[in-house]
Amino acid sequence: MNRMSVAITVTSGKGGVGKSTTVASLGLGLAQLGYKVCLVDTDIGLRKLDLMLGLENRIVYDLVDVIEGVSKLRQSLVRHKEYPDLALLPAAQTRYKEEVTPSQVKAVVDELRNEFDYILIDSPAGIEGGFRNAIAAADRAILVVNPEIPSVRDSDRVIGLLESANVKMIDLIVNRVQPGMVRDGDMLSVERVQSHLAINLLGVVPEDKRIIRSSNTGEPVILDSKSLAGKAFSNISRRLTGEDVPFLELDSTTLITRIKRLFHIA
Amino acid sequence: MFNREKEEPTAVTADDRLSLVLSYQRSDIDEKKLKQFRARLIELCDDFGYDVVGHVEVIPQSKERTTIINASIPVRLKEPL
Repeated sequence: MNRMSVAITVTSGKGGVGKSTTVASLGLGLAQLGYKVCLVDTDIGLRKLDLMLGLENRIVYDLVDVIEGVSKLRQSLVRHKEYPDLALLPAAQTRYKEEVTPSQVKAVVDELRNEFDYILIDSPAGIEGGFRNAIAAADRAILVVNPEIPSVRDSDRVIGLLESANVKMIDLIVNRVQPGMVRDGDMLSVERVQSHLAINLLGVVPEDKRIIRSSNTGEPVILDSKSLAGKAFSNISRRLTGEDVPFLELDSTTLITRIKRLFHIA
Repeated sequence: MFNREKEEPTAVTADDRLSLVLSYQRSDIDEKKLKQFRARLIELCDDFGYDVVGHVEVIPQSKERTTIINASIPVRLKEPL
């Protein structure tokens, strides 16, 4: 196992595309593979990762406390109940993004490198201060994109900002893909999105109702064995570690759907 | 059921719009800049002995993070004096 620590910022520009869902599932996926993983929520004032992981009742200290010296880094980490190799450094909920600087966040992440193989940094939406905090320590970035024009345009802008911040290794996850809509010509295909953005495709995640269920229960969708999105996240985790994993076949064509399609009812 | 007309696919339109939107964003092109660009193209045609006889269209297009500027200039050779 490679014990070189890697800090990866998960970002998007546009809000609501599934960044925190991605971070929670990839974090668990990497922990399941035996890596030590720390998730850093930099969305100060609007934290979400604690809820996604079902850890909201166990938070004592947060990122701002560490930066201000109120608490030590180690005592601020919240360990996952089932996967103790997965830790969360939560964002403060009652403070503002402007209260911390990129160099302060970088110093915290650099300290985390001593203990963790992977540090996944959940970026807030937007390209202002919070985004700059989130990318300050990044070795690489993952861009989460929905196959729709506003999301792709924002992501294209973010790629430019990442490149000028010297983050050259940028991977793409196309999230909330609806194969039926793509087939009917009503949703941009993954190939078109990738072609426009021209970055490496790390994964494709289908739209899945089980994701809503998972954020309600605090159990990331990767733990749901019936979920196709969970399987997609599991594959992405393995690809992140360098494993060559084929992409899921999302558009399964059963006999019934073929017959329905013949009569234009599917 | 059998004669149900298929609606026009919207992803093609979205793809074209996206291409245009990204081109403008990447090259920081605004309407003022395009207007100046069109004016210079008309001057250039004039220098090379062409009369511009219709609307000059300058359309940036995006391909693989590169912007390609397509110009459509209807011209005819200048009448000899």
